[in-house]
Amino acid sequence: MIGSKILLVDDEVVFANNMSKLLAIRGYKVTSVNSGDSAINALEEEDFDVVVLDLKMNGMDGITTLKEIKKLGLFTETLILTGHGSIDTALEAIKIGAYDFLAKPCEIDDLIEKIEGAWEKKDEGEKKDIQEKIQKLVESPSAAFDLFPPKKRKT
Amino acid sequence: MNTPVEFMDEDFKKRAGVKGKALYIGLFRKFILLTLICSLLPLLIVGWGINIHYTNFAKSRMVNAFQLMVDYHRKIIEQFLSERTSKLRLIANTHTKDDLKEAFNLNHIFKMINRDHGAIVDLGIIDETGRHLAYIGPYDLMSRNYSQTLWFKEVMEKDIYISDMFMGFRSEPHFIIAVTRAEKGKKWILRATIDTDAFRSFVENVRIGKTGEVFLLNTKGEYQTSPRFSGRIMEKAPFHTGPIYEGTEIKFFNESPDGLKQSFPKQIVAQTWLKNPRWVLTVKQDYAEAFSDVNHANYATLIFLHLSAISILIVAVMIARYMISVIKKQDIESDQLNKQLMQAGKLASIGELSSGVAHEINNPLAIILTERQILLDLSDKTRIQDTEFKNQLTESMDQIDTQIHRCKHITQSLLRFSRRTRSVVEDVDLNSFIKEVIGLMEREARTGGIKFLSDLEDHLPSILSDPSQLQQVFLNLITNAIDAHDGKSYGSIRITTRFDEKNKGVKIVFADTGTGISEKGLEKIFDPFFTTKPVGKGTGLGLSISHSIINQLGGNIDVRSEVGVGTEFSLFLPLKPPPDLKEDMADD
Repeated sequence: MIGSKILLVDDEVVFANNMSKLLAIRGYKVTSVNSGDSAINALEEEDFDVVVLDLKMNGMDGITTLKEIKKLGLFTETLILTGHGSIDTALEAIKIGAYDFLAKPCEIDDLIEKIEGAWEKKDEGEKKDIQEKIQKLVESPSAAFDLFPPKKRKT
Repeated sequence: MNTPVEFMDEDFKKRAGVKGKALYIGLFRKFILLTLICSLLPLLIVGWGINIHYTNFAKSRMVNAFQLMVDYHRKIIEQFLSERTSKLRLIANTHTKDDLKEAFNLNHIFKMINRDHGAIVDLGIIDETGRHLAYIGPYDLMSRNYSQTLWFKEVMEKDIYISDMFMGFRSEPHFIIAVTRAEKGKKWILRATIDTDAFRSFVENVRIGKTGEVFLLNTKGEYQTSPRFSGRIMEKAPFHTGPIYEGTEIKFFNESPDGLKQSFPKQIVAQTWLKNPRWVLTVKQDYAEAFSDVNHANYATLIFLHLSAISILIVAVMIARYMISVIKKQDIESDQLNKQLMQAGKLASIGELSSGVAHEINNPLAIILTERQILLDLSDKTRIQDTEFKNQLTESMDQIDTQIHRCKHITQSLLRFSRRTRSVVEDVDLNSFIKEVIGLMEREARTGGIKFLSDLEDHLPSILSDPSQLQQVFLNLITNAIDAHDGKSYGSIRITTRFDEKNKGVKIVFADTGTGISEKGLEKIFDPFFTTKPVGKGTGLGLSISHSIINQLGGNIDVRSEVGVGTEFSLFLPLKPPPDLKEDMADD
């Protein structure tokens, strides 16, 4: 969806920059970072709809980063982008909770398709969450304190 | 690239073959040599030793027997002569010359002697001048004077005399025994002629085998009896009698004593001297006959010994051959194992290398792709007036895209090839799994005019295996099967599943009606980077990967093909994966 906020995580600076440009041209709000740590920081700072995460990175690798992201308990969906093409690792990533994976090099259109898919999933998750919350509020309005803590978190 | 590798392989095989052959021949020789040293040599040494010892023992016994026989005959002859001599001495000493001069008395004595002992032809009384005083016998010898004869001189000197054989007045071989008596200072002689036939018969009639002969010789080496073969009485014998000695002497003649070297059989000769007269009793026999029994026993033992040796040798050769064949078989097996290990090692190192290379290439490719996209995006926004440039740009961008995808295809194949462990093992219902895979490929097949035919066994048990890896293999095989129909407008791919109860597994066959694979191609079909597809279409890794996956899953993959008819890949998958695969799971 145009205007979606995307966090691009790749230690290959040129690739990250290029991809940012391409996604920006296509109407996305892209932030690119070059390490897992920066990604976690960025997510803590700001809300993103989709994270595009490279698996093989120096420092904190993709899988660890993904685990850390999951620990944050966000609705944000993560799309794995891997140059290693190792389906095993990608499958492992999906088990941990990634939305899907894509092997580098990939067409921008394929990436956008997946991003859109991820966005929809995230959107659905959010909507469902809101519906559940409304339901709970209807049943017991006092739950509002639990449901809406100062920072937006999943239960 | 293929040709030099192939050449090296052939060359290597040839060299290894030649070396192997020499090695086996060397081993065979060593084996035989060892057997000979350990069994044959002791056997022959002991055998020959016993044989030589026994031969010597038997021969000495034979020689002893020969000696005893000669002694025995000598004693008989001596007894014969001494009996007659003492008889004559008794007569001479108990009768006077005058008594015996009487023909009647002498005739009476002659008859008495012959009645008791026989073998006396005549008796005569001779005075000291050599004249006959009386004579009883078949010859007319009364007028003979013996004063000049040798025997007369000898007897006058020695008192008792036994002559050699001589012809004398009667002109036939005979010998005499003469004794003297002194009466009133004058000597007279009692002389008896021995019946030569009787005497000779009991020497000459002794028969020893076929070649044996017995005879007497005097000191001059003249026959005193006729030998059976080598001469006649009174002839000169071809022996040197040599000095007189006591006892018996055994000699072996290797060549004729007369020096003629014509075929002369080896002979054993036993000689012993009589005391009186000095005659030598000779017993002679062909060596071969005398020792024939010993020799026969000897030959028998030697034949038996050598037969044993030969049989040991034959058995040794057979055992050695058998052992060599067993060793050869084991070598071939270990060779094959080595080759498999080498192949596995080769694949592993290629895997490691390709994984690294693929990753390193994928990132630049991804960048190139994004750069291309940026350029495309920009060119869409920019008005380019030069149409030629615009066309060329579009064409180049498309080409860049094509080439990037080509590279991507290669790197992905490489990565798939390198993927080895991290199997996710779960229950797989192969029938429905195959249906899914067919579903994935059906559209692609249909565009090529290819039908899927499935012959799936009902109640096929599910197997424990890695579905994603299996999917990769099945997709690969089906893709190949579809590609094999290149140039054919229609065809079919038959997929069969069967439960193999005996081997506890499932057999899956993918049979296509494609162009088939040549025999040379079949040899290399599972080698990495071997492909028959046009450049850019296949990497030559698919079957290599499939092969390694199926092996890893504890199964095996086989291929049969006929050019123009089709190809059949048979897979066997065990119901349960090998334990080492499970260990991989545990590691995960």
